[in-house]
Amino acid sequence: MAKQPQSKMSRALQRRENVAGYLFMLPSLIFFLGFVVIPMFICIGYSMTDATMHQKTATNFIFFENFITLFQDEVFLKGLWNTFIIVIVSVPAVCAFSLWVSSAIYKLNGPLLSAFRCIFYLPVVTGSVAVTVVWKWMYDNYTGILNSALTNMGILEKGINWLGDPKTALWCIILILFTTSVGQPIVLYVSALGNVDQTLVEAAQVDGATDLQVFWKVKWAQMMPTTLYILVITTINSFQCFALIQLLTQGGPNHATDTVMYYIYYTAFKLTEQAGHFGYANAMGVVLAIFIGLLSALQFKLAKEK
Amino acid sequence: MKLKKVLALVLAMVMTIALVACGNKNDPAPSTPDPAPSTTPDENKAPDSEPAADPAGATEISLWVYPVGGWGDEAKVKELTDAFTAETNIAVKVEYLAYADGDDKVNAALSAGEAPDLILEGPERLVANWGANGHMVDLSDMLDDTDKSELIEAALTPCINAAGEMYEYPMCMTAHCMAINLDAFKEAGADQYVDLTTHTWSTENFFKAIDALYAHYGQTVAAVFCAGQGGDQGTRALVNNLYGGTYTNADHTAYTWDDPKNVQALTELRDAQGIDYDASLAGGDEITKFYQGVLKMAFCWNSAQQLNPNSANTGEGKTVTGEEIVYMNFPTPDGSPAELCGGIWGFGIFDSKDQARIDASKQFIKFMCDSAHTADAVAASTFFAARTAAEGTDLSKIFDSELLNEYASLMLPNLGDYYNVIKGWAAQRTEWWNMLQKIGAGEDVNASIATHMAAANAAAQ
Amino acid sequence: MKIQNPRSRAYKIFSIIVLVVLAILFLFPLYWIITGAFKPAVDIYNSKPVWWPTEWVTTNFQNLFKKRTAPLFSFFGLEGPVAPGAFRWLINSVFMAVMAMILTCITAAMAGYALAKKRFMGRALLFSLIVCAMALPKQVILIPLLKEMSALKLYDTLWAVIFPTVGWPFGVFLMKQFSEGIPGEILEATRIDGASEAKTFVTVVLPMVKPGIGALAIFTFINSWNDYFMQLVMLASGENYTISLGIATLQAETTIDKGLLMAGAALASIPIITVFLIFQKYFTQGITMGAVKG
Repeated sequence: MAKQPQSKMSRALQRRENVAGYLFMLPSLIFFLGFVVIPMFICIGYSMTDATMHQKTATNFIFFENFITLFQDEVFLKGLWNTFIIVIVSVPAVCAFSLWVSSAIYKLNGPLLSAFRCIFYLPVVTGSVAVTVVWKWMYDNYTGILNSALTNMGILEKGINWLGDPKTALWCIILILFTTSVGQPIVLYVSALGNVDQTLVEAAQVDGATDLQVFWKVKWAQMMPTTLYILVITTINSFQCFALIQLLTQGGPNHATDTVMYYIYYTAFKLTEQAGHFGYANAMGVVLAIFIGLLSALQFKLAKEK
Repeated sequence: MKLKKVLALVLAMVMTIALVACGNKNDPAPSTPDPAPSTTPDENKAPDSEPAADPAGATEISLWVYPVGGWGDEAKVKELTDAFTAETNIAVKVEYLAYADGDDKVNAALSAGEAPDLILEGPERLVANWGANGHMVDLSDMLDDTDKSELIEAALTPCINAAGEMYEYPMCMTAHCMAINLDAFKEAGADQYVDLTTHTWSTENFFKAIDALYAHYGQTVAAVFCAGQGGDQGTRALVNNLYGGTYTNADHTAYTWDDPKNVQALTELRDAQGIDYDASLAGGDEITKFYQGVLKMAFCWNSAQQLNPNSANTGEGKTVTGEEIVYMNFPTPDGSPAELCGGIWGFGIFDSKDQARIDASKQFIKFMCDSAHTADAVAASTFFAARTAAEGTDLSKIFDSELLNEYASLMLPNLGDYYNVIKGWAAQRTEWWNMLQKIGAGEDVNASIATHMAAANAAAQ
Repeated sequence: MKIQNPRSRAYKIFSIIVLVVLAILFLFPLYWIITGAFKPAVDIYNSKPVWWPTEWVTTNFQNLFKKRTAPLFSFFGLEGPVAPGAFRWLINSVFMAVMAMILTCITAAMAGYALAKKRFMGRALLFSLIVCAMALPKQVILIPLLKEMSALKLYDTLWAVIFPTVGWPFGVFLMKQFSEGIPGEILEATRIDGASEAKTFVTVVLPMVKPGIGALAIFTFINSWNDYFMQLVMLASGENYTISLGIATLQAETTIDKGLLMAGAALASIPIITVFLIFQKYFTQGITMGAVKG
């Protein structure tokens, strides 16, 4: 529309579009600018200072010093790595698992289907804090049901200190995250599978395609938009694992479960004696924002190409 | 169709209730510190249901309490604050913090400029952290000569910093100790290693007892807990006392974790089969495990715990299954009484720059810590009074409990150096438990200590 | 339908078995919450797990209700009767999640429509900004938000949790994707009929993007309910706690009474699960049609 020759008419039209467009955008923009964009700019500003929460210390502008320290900070790098692991493990795992479950249940009869759908959706509606509280008890080193069951069944000889061992702690967190993430994707896939164009499926079967081929070549292709939506919401969910870490491990043991998100909070409100801790926490925020912004842009780009 | 209507109805109902419930959230809370000094606090307070009887003073102050014994119990605290309100017409809004995330909450509130007026905790937070960083009001004008003579020196000294500023008015105190499950000890034949009259034991006997317990039960019998900072005084005291190491230097300017005596203690604790460095437990969890009878000893113990183990109200000095709990000194090389860590709790005032509220808060402190009501306030905590007498009332005999009186004579004299007032205490805490986690995970003891002690010392400069 | 070979039948049986096992695993936490909430102290503190309460008691709930109290509601200085804090927290949670849901749906539907169908200047720039900010965790702007809320006098109110949720641009993105599917001719026809922009939006656009709004509503409600982080940072007083924050605070206290915690967890989850089960069809339908069309 904008590419048309700029006649008087189209300019008027353009103005109308501008006014209408921004009026429709306005309510959303107030919140978006006010509570996301402006704070983000303040965050960038903070990241170049040595601000603290204390009144006794003056704030100085220190340019990129925080960022330089950041990339030498082992805990931060570990946090970055853990964040990466959580996303890279949980997103594909959630997608694959929910796809498998959906394809196994979507042909079941009504009540059975909705029973399964409900069961997998339950951890989502139970609420992450309630779920975490019960998992903490289940993981317990001495009296937890997990150790008790596994040792009784003879799978383990001696109980594992699930949350206390750097080797297992992160996986315990990922497992809980997993159970609270698969509900929505399963519901989405079930309906997407139900909406697959049957004529295409039958045509493929007539051509002698195997079940597996039908699945990948016909159904999977048609479910692509659903898959992309699931990828996006699962990625968002994976970044929301703060509650699990705060309530289960506080980033420990030995920073094995520190994510950048948690380390920001930790630096802001726990390491209050560290010089310039507010500036430092904000610098981490900026780095994380850049990574995530790039990731989202990439995801969207891929989505558009498909 | 019908379902849709029901849904709409339910939604509408929920909305109405919710709107009614939260309609006033936009009002500035009466306790909000007002950045504009021109508005008098009374204007904000006018709509409060409580009539403003004292026009000159604030009519509502806020108090945040850490769970200091019974001060974490809403019913007990309400009785005390109600008595205060009845006498002064100042309402007190109390919030209850937990040790696990209480510091985070206070720090968030401070960052938002909305700290409470009053806070109940110990010098390591009030003096060494928030006081040192300029958030607190100096209370030294509340002390006169009588107070100085009445207050127990061990409690008063840590509340005052080197410059003579007082950021905490002490109310109650105790000595943190450890505890053993005597029935389990007897069953494993380990009771021969403890002296039950003096409640002391030697390091050698401690490890013998651990071995005997482990041989009998075949599982972890004691845990060096390090999931977080909760109850860290227990692990600190254990490590220091085992071979007589120190935590900081004598003038509280640097940490001395790399003292070979500490290294030896940390190493031997790791090597003992019955002891586990457990990064899934914090102090509170350890107490629960001990109370359940899983662990046979607890390093996070004190008089209030002995009186009401795990705060579960199932009987003095008993585990859940009725086994006998005996409080103990930490083991020392020669079996003499240990140097115990002190718990000294009292009130501090956050600087709201609002004189009326600060004055009201001081009135509150006076009421709780130095008046005829002090006995009740201290009794509520189930700890010992931080002073001998308050306004003529003798405070040494407020408990009618044989256990507490015995504890007072046996354990309180063993209070060691209160080193918690060293600068950068809050930073040190995270270093300490992270160090324990690393040692527990099998990293080299010396290297772990070196890294974390350096970080802690950096904050202490 | 068609003849099944033995291999595919074996696979089918195998998958049903796996599904049943998984279903049990997924149900287990809920089972553990509910039985835990009604277990007596001897079961709770038993060092061996107790699979079924030896006796069903309500002590845990009584303890929970006694533990913290708060006015049931407060409305312009008018305070409700003092009630167990958990009830107030539940009311707060519902208010917060419903409010966030409604505001998000309204603002996102409007913005999504504008981004999809209005060719205004700066549209591309705005949209890329939205895409980049979509997955941003709130921890990134933790400190600026805290300062901002205190400047706006919103610290320690539920609005401090609600507004950032509404500002999160995922909803706009989702609604834009849905609005793309509205045929331009219909909009053109309405315009020619002389309908105002507002009328077009309400009568034509909204009905067409309804499935998208359904999906967004559920997504926002659940995200807001579970947004423990913002609640932790922004809410200070017990009467403003949400149920998640309330339970988490109880868990953090040194006394670790699992029975009380399970009672709290049950209280937090049962109402929302009940709502979910009653309106299950709508829940799943809403999301179902919510699949992005491209």
